[in-house]
Amino acid sequence: MADFSCLVVEDSPMMRQLLVFALARIKKIAVTEAEDGVDALRKLANTRFDLVVTDINMPIMDGLKLVKRIRSDETHKDVPIIIITTEGSTEDRQRAMALGANAYITKPIQAPQVIAKVKELLKL
Amino acid sequence: MSDEESEQRGQRTSDVPVDLTRERETFVRQFLRKGVELTETVLEENKTLHDKLNAAQREIAMLRAQVASDDAIRDLLKKIESLETERNKLLEKSTELEETTRQKETRNVEVEQELHDLANLYIASSHLHSTLSVRGVVKHLKELLQQLVGAEIYAIYLMDGDGTAAKPLACDGVELSALSPVIKGEGVVGEVMMTGIPKVSERWDEGGTLEAPLAAVPIMVRDQAVGVIAVATVFEQKERWAAVDHELFKLLGSHAATALIAANLYADADGALVALSGVAGHLTQPPSS
Repeated sequence: MADFSCLVVEDSPMMRQLLVFALARIKKIAVTEAEDGVDALRKLANTRFDLVVTDINMPIMDGLKLVKRIRSDETHKDVPIIIITTEGSTEDRQRAMALGANAYITKPIQAPQVIAKVKELLKL
Repeated sequence: MSDEESEQRGQRTSDVPVDLTRERETFVRQFLRKGVELTETVLEENKTLHDKLNAAQREIAMLRAQVASDDAIRDLLKKIESLETERNKLLEKSTELEETTRQKETRNVEVEQELHDLANLYIASSHLHSTLSVRGVVKHLKELLQQLVGAEIYAIYLMDGDGTAAKPLACDGVELSALSPVIKGEGVVGEVMMTGIPKVSERWDEGGTLEAPLAAVPIMVRDQAVGVIAVATVFEQKERWAAVDHELFKLLGSHAATALIAANLYADADGALVALSGVAGHLTQPPSS
């Protein structure tokens, strides 16, 4: 039985799999995958998550819009959000942080870095 | 005593000369006085001795207490010494444990990194071969370069029919139409295509171009280079090539061509069954060199 649930939002199946592999290293965490922002909102509507890890650049609904929607939702407004950005220092990251993201990770992602951030936010 | 006797004695006393009587009385008095004096002296000395005895007893008691106290101190000192030894041992043990913990933590980080690297390679390999569409293979190749390697500007060249030049197949960060074919043996990329030996530069400060890329990796089919992946620049947050990047280059170099060949053959075949026809026949033929 998992103690924490995490929603991974990433359009690239490769990156999603890499993130799932990384998160699987953390005990007692269950991971749900979403392909884009809309898919994520659909899953958020049915489940309460302890953490959301989302890419920024995605089709249909990108990560920035997703962060905004999550923060304006009464149920999920306090859920910690980690954003994944491709660029090292772009305004996308700043915008996401301004919208309420809690942390960011830049690509190419490193599993130890992802694990450390998740543990930090979940206070593990 | 009878009256007669008393009378005889009184008679005799009265017969003693007065001088002698006086002398005797004086002597007796002196004797008595001396006796009193002696008694007093003896009593005084007795008292002094008694006091000295008391003092000596007190001193003995004090010395005994002192000795007992010294023994206690000696015991305490011994105890302190043994505790100090124990403490030093514990400190040594603690230092050893800290060192062990540090080593374990370092090892843990290394293991996590190794797992991540293996996951990268597994994902790269499985995704590369997960499709039989040429477009899909190229898409995965691009994704691998972007997402796993962190390539920003790059191009994938594939050799043309006669094997003298390689045409750009896909790229990012530049327009495909802006890229020229690479002539075998010309320039860094052409040289890599000729030799089949990758060139991966560690000189990040100089940056790279598609003509002189940071990494030029040959796409191999057995011992023959059939194309090149040229990575001109990487994302700015990437500070150096990681160990897994070199492994990814090896994997891409050896798997990209087979994935492309399979996809290309499949595209020309009319479905999976046609593509698979004759497979068993190849097993009965002698292995090709």
